Amino acid sequence: MTNNKGNGDGRFAHAAGAPGRQIGVVVGGQLSRGLQVRLDGVGGASVEDVPVGSFVTVQGRRQRFFGVVTDIELRTVDDSLRHFPPTGGDAFLAEVVGGTTAYGVLSVMPGIAVPDGNAYSIQPETSTTIPEHFSPVFTASQADIDAVFNAPQHTALALGAPQAMDGATVRLDLSALASRSVGVFGASGSGKTFLARMLLAGLVKQGEVVSLVFDMQNEYGWQGQDNDRGSQVKGLKQLFPSRVVTFTLDQQSSQRRGMTPDGIVRIGYNEIQPADIEMLRESLGLSAVAAAAAYNLERHFARRSWLGEFMVLGGPDIPDLADAIGVNAAALAALHRRLSAWQRFEFLDDAAGANAARSIVEHLQRGNHVVLEFGQYGRNEAAYVLVSNLLTRRIHEEWVRRKELADGGQGADPRPLVIFIEEAHKFLTPEVASQTIFGTIARELRKYNVTLMIVDQRPSGIDSEVMSQLGTRLTCSLNDDRDMSAVLMGARDSSQLRDVLSRLSSKQQALVFGHAVPMPLVLRPRDYDETFYQEMALPAGPVPAGAPVETEQDRLQREIDELFPPN
Amino acid sequence: MTSMETRRRVGEVIVSHTERVEVQCYELHSPPPLGSLLRIGSPAVYAVVRDIWHEPLDPSRPLAARGADLETEEEIYAQNPQLLSVLTTRFTATVTGYVDGLDIRQGLPSVPPNLHSFVFLCDDAEVASFVRQLQFLRLLMADGSLTADLAMTAFLQRSAATVADRRGFLIRAGRMLAIELAGESQRLYTMLREIAV
Repeated sequence: MTNNKGNGDGRFAHAAGAPGRQIGVVVGGQLSRGLQVRLDGVGGASVEDVPVGSFVTVQGRRQRFFGVVTDIELRTVDDSLRHFPPTGGDAFLAEVVGGTTAYGVLSVMPGIAVPDGNAYSIQPETSTTIPEHFSPVFTASQADIDAVFNAPQHTALALGAPQAMDGATVRLDLSALASRSVGVFGASGSGKTFLARMLLAGLVKQGEVVSLVFDMQNEYGWQGQDNDRGSQVKGLKQLFPSRVVTFTLDQQSSQRRGMTPDGIVRIGYNEIQPADIEMLRESLGLSAVAAAAAYNLERHFARRSWLGEFMVLGGPDIPDLADAIGVNAAALAALHRRLSAWQRFEFLDDAAGANAARSIVEHLQRGNHVVLEFGQYGRNEAAYVLVSNLLTRRIHEEWVRRKELADGGQGADPRPLVIFIEEAHKFLTPEVASQTIFGTIARELRKYNVTLMIVDQRPSGIDSEVMSQLGTRLTCSLNDDRDMSAVLMGARDSSQLRDVLSRLSSKQQALVFGHAVPMPLVLRPRDYDETFYQEMALPAGPVPAGAPVETEQDRLQREIDELFPPN
Repeated sequence: MTSMETRRRVGEVIVSHTERVEVQCYELHSPPPLGSLLRIGSPAVYAVVRDIWHEPLDPSRPLAARGADLETEEEIYAQNPQLLSVLTTRFTATVTGYVDGLDIRQGLPSVPPNLHSFVFLCDDAEVASFVRQLQFLRLLMADGSLTADLAMTAFLQRSAATVADRRGFLIRAGRMLAIELAGESQRLYTMLREIAV
């Protein structure tokens, strides 16, 4: 990590004291609605210097409070000032009146408080009160930021700079992040992919969890695209060749992009269940009747091969079959047309068993992170939803089995697993969320050591129950009111956060709140560049005490032991 | 008393209140200008000239016009030398501070200056020293009359000439006024425009 050296307990050393510049005093407020801070215009503080989302500290009588600016307002003591403002370029009048009878007021949402005296050495807590009248308010310093975002060094990821503090760095606690499901949201082009890639890289480096990435746009595995600069950036495999394994659904696409995948995923028809078809009803454009016909087909054909047998039928066979299984012929024909198109999916075939899932599980169990590239199939919504659900269901079943065995005293807990999905609104809609494995995982929290990382641009399309289970949410700019409401659903102080969220710049800004951060914060994600690559470089020597990251040598030995168990 | 002090002595207190004094000038038609800072008596009380007028010494003997047949105003006084004895110049001054031991305090003294206290015009150094603090400005604005406001702006302009950072001083004073006059922005603007000149 940059600039800071860890101290004995693994936390970052803080420059005690050293508050920022005083910008005003508290003149009113309410715990539920936030503080009113009158800017000290005479002292040179300008509303223009304190953008919404800025981090400030308030020195109360007995506690130090940390808060976020959620709104900014211009006020005048006297209404007539608004009717007869000093005009005519009268600089003297404007200078006298500005900051005295015409002044700025900040709305500040107090997030956390620490008792005075040892503000930089104990764990901050959510504030349950507010500072007294006329408590001085300061801009935050790096020491303040470190005091609040005080992740232990081995789990900290330097994610970016807080609003209006370009030189400072916020460190996110990756352990806390991965312990609950995570949502990364933002409109197209707002930077959510970079943010998500950074989080994933952090998780790989930290090594406490493993991840399975369903890489719809081929952005995470070998390399990604920086559309703004028109250049390529390193994917996880390039950053961590020894810890990341790539699979592909579309070998040719991978080869064209210069990547040699570690494995190719094939799905057998026999792995697809009627429930999968029902879940895909919307993406396939099927009626409820047509989708439900899959269950009739399963009963009619042998259970394991219903799809294969149905697909090879010719169009003229359908009416007879419809009669035989008692479904509407038009509905069955529609289902047949849609599913026949799947014959073009090269990853689907008769022969494949459950090898793909098994191979992925093995890699995950060994501590490897797995990226599954979809190649051309990323553009096919049904393919993405089908494959990600199917594999996740298998892997989840395995995790549940291992966890239950572990709970029964047989074997170790399965490694914590983060499953990464994009375009979640397509298969976590309120209608189907209850049927998909992802809905189940979200609701289980981390009961079976599996959590989700959801990356999406339309959070309003995601089932509210799933949204409410997301422990930490990182959101870049969103354009739609409903999306903003969805992201903030269930968050404390959501109305104030909404003011902040609606003002995020369309690029390179994110609001972070929830489980992994002690208080909400606006930040400018750092650049995904050479410096970041260097920070992600795995340590060559022994890792610091307390950190569960294994060295490459340990890892090699463990893998040998796993492959050839010592007798 | 030094000759310098004699020269700056302008009159004596003839009516004394806690918050204001009335002074009779030694010389007819030669008052200290509006807004001048004065030092009165001992221990000294500071006050600012707020209103000046000329009148007969004896209020029961009002003046009559005397120059109908004369060419110039000076001829009136030349032909009626007794006028210099029966006419006088008086002014009121608003008390703004006092000396307490070695300190100058801004505010009102516990007792007003004695009658017949000597009244001196402060020099630039005294003015500059007095205006380091500006809390007393509210005393000058207390009665809210137009004359009081004019006396205040005159005082600030004079004081500004005695300090090193003229604009900085006026902005500091202006902000003080702005806070005192919150809710009376038109009055404030008028005063600010006066002192900004």
